[in-house]
Amino acid sequence: MADGEDIGEFYLRYYVGHKGKFGHEFLEFEFRPDGKLRYANNSNYKNDTMIRKEIFLTQAALKECRRIVAESEIMKEDDNSWPEPDRVGRQELEIVMGNEHISFTTSKIGSLMDVQTSKDPEGLRIFYYLVQVFLPVQSFEGFLLIYELNSVVRHLD
Amino acid sequence: MANIEAEALDFEPEDDDLMDEDIGEGSPNRGSASIPRLKSAITGGGSSAPKKTKGRGFRDEAAAEADRNARMAARFDSLDSDGGPGPERSIEGWIILVTGVHEEAQEDDLQNAFGEFGEIKNLHLNLDRRTGFVKGYALIEYEKFDEAQRAITEMDGTELLTQPINVDWAFSKGPFRRRNLRRRYSFKKSI
Repeated sequence: MADGEDIGEFYLRYYVGHKGKFGHEFLEFEFRPDGKLRYANNSNYKNDTMIRKEIFLTQAALKECRRIVAESEIMKEDDNSWPEPDRVGRQELEIVMGNEHISFTTSKIGSLMDVQTSKDPEGLRIFYYLVQVFLPVQSFEGFLLIYELNSVVRHLD
Repeated sequence: MANIEAEALDFEPEDDDLMDEDIGEGSPNRGSASIPRLKSAITGGGSSAPKKTKGRGFRDEAAAEADRNARMAARFDSLDSDGGPGPERSIEGWIILVTGVHEEAQEDDLQNAFGEFGEIKNLHLNLDRRTGFVKGYALIEYEKFDEAQRAITEMDGTELLTQPINVDWAFSKGPFRRRNLRRRYSFKKSI
């Protein structure tokens, strides 16, 4: 597809959360096809409140997200043999790209050791690293569009 | 509010393991069941063929969607912009996105190439955590709009470390128009 043209359908949503003594705590973000990026972080710890922000990415930025997802080859994977979501937590990764729509779920992954000892280390590793790219909180230098999102909207608070 | 959600949401995965098989190859009924949501919530009504679906997330889709809607229903804070076209300002200035960055590029390379348009307030060059190489993009923040605009105009389509790069704004004041939304756009224009 040509530069500057429609990049094709692209949607990405990631959720990680659990229910515990602080209620339903989760982090979720979503890239929509028109460039809207939404980010929600709900932590009830010490009465933290829900953070909900949204901003628009340019087509160029969304296209770069799409490239990163495509190069990860996550769409070829399957969550069949990944660890099931459990009491400790749940992750969801939903992506629409071209003619494919995946919606994967798994438990929380604490470290690469969890990946290596799973039944599908190859597939889960791809998931793990892709999420790292997009996860702003756990990887400080992680996906900076979201990091920047937070800087951008901070002055609203 | 969040507590009510928590009550409604129960992570019980083992309700139907037999479902795994037919999800794997994206059976027709699964595929068609997902179309309405795709149209409405995800692709914004774009015309396209049914999607091939895959994953356990389609297992209990109605409940999952209800839960997701509950989470995402509340108001999201956004910038007070007019929603029109054009770049969005950041807290300290204006952020541009450089793509096609060579995997062995260093921050200095970008500093040298982009520093001539103005003082760079922030520069982020992300690494692929798996390979240790540059992920392929960089974000650069200038204080002044004109500096960022000049960097885009003069650097887009040039080469950095023998590799062609593209330079554009990172954030926008509003949604960009997609080709399959053109009908709505022309309708608005004709008003």
